[in-house]
Amino acid sequence: MKIFVVLPAYNEEKTIEKVLKDLIDIGFEIVVVDDGSVDGTFSIVNRIIMEKKTGLLCRHIINRGLGAALKTGIEVALMEDPDIIVTFDADGQHDPKDILKVSKPIINDEADVVIGMRNFKEMPSSKKIGNRIMNFITLFFYGINVNDSQSGLRAFNRKAAETIIINARDYGVSSEIIGEIKRHNLRLIEVPIKTIYTNYSIKKGTNTNEGLKILAKLIMNILK
Amino acid sequence: MIELYQIIAIIVSIIVLILSILRFRDGKMSLGMLMVWIVIWLIIIIISIYPNDTNYLASYTGIGRGLDFVLIIGLILSFYLIFKMYNKMEVIEEELTNLIRELAIQNKNTDNKDKMEDKVDLDNKTE
Repeated sequence: MKIFVVLPAYNEEKTIEKVLKDLIDIGFEIVVVDDGSVDGTFSIVNRIIMEKKTGLLCRHIINRGLGAALKTGIEVALMEDPDIIVTFDADGQHDPKDILKVSKPIINDEADVVIGMRNFKEMPSSKKIGNRIMNFITLFFYGINVNDSQSGLRAFNRKAAETIIINARDYGVSSEIIGEIKRHNLRLIEVPIKTIYTNYSIKKGTNTNEGLKILAKLIMNILK
Repeated sequence: MIELYQIIAIIVSIIVLILSILRFRDGKMSLGMLMVWIVIWLIIIIISIYPNDTNYLASYTGIGRGLDFVLIIGLILSFYLIFKMYNKMEVIEEELTNLIRELAIQNKNTDNKDKMEDKVDLDNKTE
């Protein structure tokens, strides 16, 4: 069973080394997409890949957003004949052990896509509001109600990874993936995962501000 | 009697017309776009010279005064142009993203592969 972990990374020099080493030490195949970072992310990842003699690294020479990075990562992983593709945040908020947890329903052929849902009760309130808004938006625009639409930890079987078409370039991609799951009638299971909140990871990702930005973007998409 | 606003409108229109033609000559504007702009600015010049004639159009469409008609049409056209530009920008953004992604995929691991090959060369030399 070949599990590929796709790590989209934008300016993650503080966290990427530990995340990457942990994942490689467990034995996962790695695809890192450096999304035009202006810090040391690329050279750190490059060095680790050389040291460990495993892993793939792609670099967007200009920052194109989370959606574009995930698309590149999944495309590269698909070239390597994977059984499961897992997306994993590079900011250190996920527990590497949860990769097996989200992969299990796919191994047992109970699901095509698994989303790791974070515990909203443990979530800092600034993030909770943003994520609630995004869940509502996902329900409103794509007609599918999930517990955690914005989670960065997802697992796809090969069929799902090949079927899902990502067009959103920015954070709207998380909702779009869920919309695609519905559109193609893929089997979706949500599995609870652990989230490691540090001051660093709280500052990044979906907060209220980002939630409002995504909302504006989705409305623009409809008006087009 | 020619009012000041008419003179200003005519001067501005002529300047923009000249600029459009210069841009076309430099190859920075397509022929189609040049035609569109020439028509728009010629209409503005005509309206500036004969502002009262717009009253016919206004009464024909049911919009009170001639000037109101011109303003409303102008606003609608402006919004349409903004909309077109937004769409075009989105297309360009998407093309740029595709280009960057394609480059990234083609060049995956090239950096460290080069270095790995260098390393192998060094090893061979020491042997």
